[in-house]
Amino acid sequence: MNVRRREVIAAYLFLAPFLVTLAIFFVYATARAVYFSFTDYDLFNAPTWIGLRNYANLFRDDLFLTALRNSLVFAAVVTSVQTFGALVMASVLNQRVRGLNFFRAAFYMPSITSSVVITLIFLWMYQRRGLFNYLLTQLLANLPLIGMFVLVLAAAQVVQVLLERARGLSVRWSDPALLVVSLVVATTGTTALVLLGLVAPRTVAPVDFVWLQTRQEVPGAFPGFLRAPVPLIAIMLQNIFTTVPTFMLMFLAALQGVPSSYYEAASLDGATPVQQFFYITIPAVQPVTFLVVTLGLIGTLQMFDQVAIFGNAVPLRSVITLAYFIYNRMFPGAQLPEVGFASAAAMFLALLTLVIVLLQRLFIRSEGNL
Amino acid sequence: MSAATPLAAARRARETLRWEARRRWARAGIVYVLMLLFSLVFLGPLLFATLSSLKTDPLEYPPRIAVPQLSPANWATAARLGRAGARAPLWGGFAPGADVAFQLTYFAPDGTEPAPPSVTVPKRRPGGGLGAVQAIEYAADHASVSPAEEVERRTGSWTVRGGSVAGTFVTYAVRVRYQGEGPKLERLPLDAVAPSRAQVFVRSTLPPTRLERLGLVASYNDVAPGALGYVFTNYRRVFAEARSVTTGRSLFLSWTANSFLIALAKVLTTLLLASMAGYALARLRFPGRALIFLLILFAQMIPGQVIFISNYLVLRDGIFGLASLWGQTTLLNSLAGVVLSGMVGAGAVFIMKQFFESIPREVEEAAMIDGTNQWQRFSRVVLPMARPALGALTILTFQGAWNDFFWPLVVLTTPEDIKTLPIGLLTFRNAYGTTGDWGLILAGAVMSAVPVIVLFVVFQRYFLEGVSYGGGKG
Amino acid sequence: MKRVACLLTLVALLVVPAAWAQTVVRVQGYGGSDPAIVQRLIDEVIGNDLAAQGISIQYEPIETDYNAVLTNALSAGTAADVFYIPGETAPGIIATGKVLPLNGLVDTSAFIDSLMAVYTIDGNVYGIPKDFNTLAVFYNKDIFDAAGVDYPSADDDWSAFSDKLTAVSMMDPDIHGICLPADFARMGAFAFANGWTPFNADGSADLQDPAFVQAFDFYTGLVTSGAAVQPADVGAGWPGDCLAREQAAVAIEGAWILGFLRDNAPNLQYGSTLLPTSPATGLSGNFIYTVAWGINADSKVQDAATKVLEALTSPTTQQFILEQGLAIPSRKALVDNPYFQQDTPEAQGNLTVFEGATHGNVLGFQFGSVGTDYMTPSNNAMNVVMTGQADSATALAQAQQELTALLQRSQR
Repeated sequence: MNVRRREVIAAYLFLAPFLVTLAIFFVYATARAVYFSFTDYDLFNAPTWIGLRNYANLFRDDLFLTALRNSLVFAAVVTSVQTFGALVMASVLNQRVRGLNFFRAAFYMPSITSSVVITLIFLWMYQRRGLFNYLLTQLLANLPLIGMFVLVLAAAQVVQVLLERARGLSVRWSDPALLVVSLVVATTGTTALVLLGLVAPRTVAPVDFVWLQTRQEVPGAFPGFLRAPVPLIAIMLQNIFTTVPTFMLMFLAALQGVPSSYYEAASLDGATPVQQFFYITIPAVQPVTFLVVTLGLIGTLQMFDQVAIFGNAVPLRSVITLAYFIYNRMFPGAQLPEVGFASAAAMFLALLTLVIVLLQRLFIRSEGNL
Repeated sequence: MSAATPLAAARRARETLRWEARRRWARAGIVYVLMLLFSLVFLGPLLFATLSSLKTDPLEYPPRIAVPQLSPANWATAARLGRAGARAPLWGGFAPGADVAFQLTYFAPDGTEPAPPSVTVPKRRPGGGLGAVQAIEYAADHASVSPAEEVERRTGSWTVRGGSVAGTFVTYAVRVRYQGEGPKLERLPLDAVAPSRAQVFVRSTLPPTRLERLGLVASYNDVAPGALGYVFTNYRRVFAEARSVTTGRSLFLSWTANSFLIALAKVLTTLLLASMAGYALARLRFPGRALIFLLILFAQMIPGQVIFISNYLVLRDGIFGLASLWGQTTLLNSLAGVVLSGMVGAGAVFIMKQFFESIPREVEEAAMIDGTNQWQRFSRVVLPMARPALGALTILTFQGAWNDFFWPLVVLTTPEDIKTLPIGLLTFRNAYGTTGDWGLILAGAVMSAVPVIVLFVVFQRYFLEGVSYGGGKG
Repeated sequence: MKRVACLLTLVALLVVPAAWAQTVVRVQGYGGSDPAIVQRLIDEVIGNDLAAQGISIQYEPIETDYNAVLTNALSAGTAADVFYIPGETAPGIIATGKVLPLNGLVDTSAFIDSLMAVYTIDGNVYGIPKDFNTLAVFYNKDIFDAAGVDYPSADDDWSAFSDKLTAVSMMDPDIHGICLPADFARMGAFAFANGWTPFNADGSADLQDPAFVQAFDFYTGLVTSGAAVQPADVGAGWPGDCLAREQAAVAIEGAWILGFLRDNAPNLQYGSTLLPTSPATGLSGNFIYTVAWGINADSKVQDAATKVLEALTSPTTQQFILEQGLAIPSRKALVDNPYFQQDTPEAQGNLTVFEGATHGNVLGFQFGSVGTDYMTPSNNAMNVVMTGQADSATALAQAQQELTALLQRSQR
């Protein structure tokens, strides 16, 4: 009994500093936030109880509803794109090649630099005379060349596959060895056509897409609560850019644990790479998928930094998220702080996060079997 | 027929083997190419931003890769001018004894008589920016410019208003001398006004900073920059202008130091407290274990915006008056406040708990026989075994604390040199964002990214292990 | 006896240096181009006198959102002893109760009345305006000369002004007549010219008043007709940028553009004139932007802070600021200062801005307790019309709805 008691005392001693921090800065803080959400505290006068009025006003507030729409659309789009993109990239790169370490460093680079640095760089690239519009212009201008390249590539690949099949070897349409040859043929062919003057880049007016200073929402045909403002899409692209490499590395680590014999057996049975992807790869990485989706949802629902850094370069309504709405109501600047109102919104955000994480747990079980 | 089959079968088998080998090589090749492509996509913006941070106008259209700041010919020219200006080929300047020779080339179309431009050293008083606060000396007060002399004349054609026109290229030379004695000045600005609109500016020793008045005036911010001063103009400006008004120290250095201090403190407290708490949760049995575990899970999900107002008020009151122990009434606007309010995160405890649960109990049982108490068992036996997890946790915590944005934004507001690097960069962006001085903003961003990138390259293994630990492997 | 004398000397030696210790007064203000002005003031003009009185100034400019940081600091008790009170957020800041009323502490009669009115609530004066700004028309002389068009002048009415801008914009596809942002802080001046005011007597706001609609249509019409362009459309951050890059011939801004032009277009030959007059009323309109120094009600060094405040707004200080061309002073007596007689573009620009304060229908840049949020519905309407997404009637109806809801919420 004595031993047992000593163990309990020791446990609490070990836990004490952490528990104190947790108590003051989490439990007490959450409790106070709940309390404030039922008052009309403005930081300068004592709080007075007003019951559920904050919550009622919340859903009548235009800015809050916009923030809610933005947050949900942002979370949905970014999480799905980054999960799927990371998985596809990981499965494409899932070969035992050397030199992976160097590439790992390159892939991880966007995530380790702080969000401020990446946001500033993207802010500069999204200017109307910036890099993005320039690249789009170049893409449009070189469309004939790209089209010709793809045409020759497809033609070369088809011809080679047919020849090989005629010789009796069974090859898939996407056979890598033939693909390499097709690529070489396509490159030389396109170059030759350009030199001969038969194909040339066309001149297009410079793309002048307004990424930032616009209240446009796409797609126009959808109802208001399903549309995404263009500046928010700009932030989505940036977020995906930053997080896909990290998640891809996580998926890659998990995929390296899948025995290649599974894939070989499947291809012997005649499964195409796409079928292998859906029936082997995806179930194999289910635990990591669960983690990636959870982390993604939590992170995207709390998106704050980019909105603060974009600042007055974008209209507020087009990028405001729930997290920024809370901060904005807490320190509005032009008026007294609305602590009660902001706390009600914060409670809503916390509940929303909890509900969404629990929901997605139902769809993706964390234990996966093959 | 039957005699041919084994031979044919063998031949077919060999061919299939060769075929498989070729396919493997091809697949590996394609994977390398794809990896290279992906790396380009993910590193591209950062690299191009670094390149553009050297430009005078990063928003030039179309964006060039061949920047004048990166041509060795211009380095040599800038070094020569710097040496002429202040015997400083690296950083340039304008000092007593300076004799800077500068050349300008104009094009006069047929029918106009070429005339020398009027070249002056203007008095450029800074109009704005973060640190246009120091009392400055003007180069104009100490400089004398010789009249422009014609040096060379040749005929040719030049594109004027979209069409090719024939005319004469005339090169003029001026010399800028320092009159008498005086202080060494950092920059030597220059203005060259063409005699008429017909005469078009073509080139000069160093490219002009801007062409003004519809092409009439070629304006130079510094004609004696020195090689490094020419390439890194924006970086030099960032260091020179981002100065604290109160102490005069460079703001970037203060911000970096603050970030480093906070990150270091957080790492130390997290390592100690998280490993202790994680060990207790993993190994020891006590009532309330499940509740604490549940709290940890919740704490990882609750967004910072829910708890920040209460924590802000707690810091404002000095953590229930505790701060008065060392003589302060509030912990806001102090690094101690940031550290104390985030000493250990729930995520760190979670990671350590997962790790300790993966250590076999037998090792601990062995130590128990020796009659050690809990603390000795923890510190002497278990902790040394946790080195890989601790290493990963160090890097994760350091990176998280270094890049933390929201909480320092709320806590650290004034004065400028109390801020951390991410918040300081926001200040920088606000100060130069409206004037559109992207060169400075990009230079600031690149300078902020360098420390973490260096750290990452050196400790790459621990970073990536940290990712796998955070990913809950096992 | 000897011991007591020793003790007394010891005590005296300890106390006297303490009396020599300086009182530190903290001062907070804007960032951007402002620290240069205030720091020079402290270094060259007032620092020595105050040091002689035992006061030293610790100046902390705020680079991020000033209003948010100030509210943050006032609630935390970490705000400075002397700080800026922007005109547009003055009601909100004063409502916190943390600003010291200055009646009787400082002589307020020497300052321009319309500026003092911005900071007087219920008879209490809460801040001393330090300088002010109004809008003026700044134009690029080279472009007008090249197009052969007369310079804009104060006698132009809106249609004459518009004709000049159209003529300039036809000269070159890359050069536009004027750079106009979708900002109420500029368009409002035209509405004031027509006699419109932001708030009616009962506290409501009417954006569908014909006076407002006419001004709105004129302003947005400049963009839709091609004479004007929005800054974002030419890759500029604000109209000053447009003007400096010579993408537009005219910009309507305050004297803050002068410092910017000095940095970014030092050789630009620009002129300045008052805003054009409305054809309906024959008057022009204008905003007055002003910032005041206020004292923290919780300050522990109130006397020293009052002395610093007086020094910061003294006649010497204001004279210095004017002569250096840094800002337009708020003291009535400086109207006839010889600085304004100088012939440089900057001095003339400052003079135009100064004259703008008493020319036509001039209203303070202030929107009661709702603050700058007042402008958002109008800005949205302007943006929508300027980008051709809707016509002005629909846009203004929408804006009216949003504004009414906003005002109701702020009076919640």
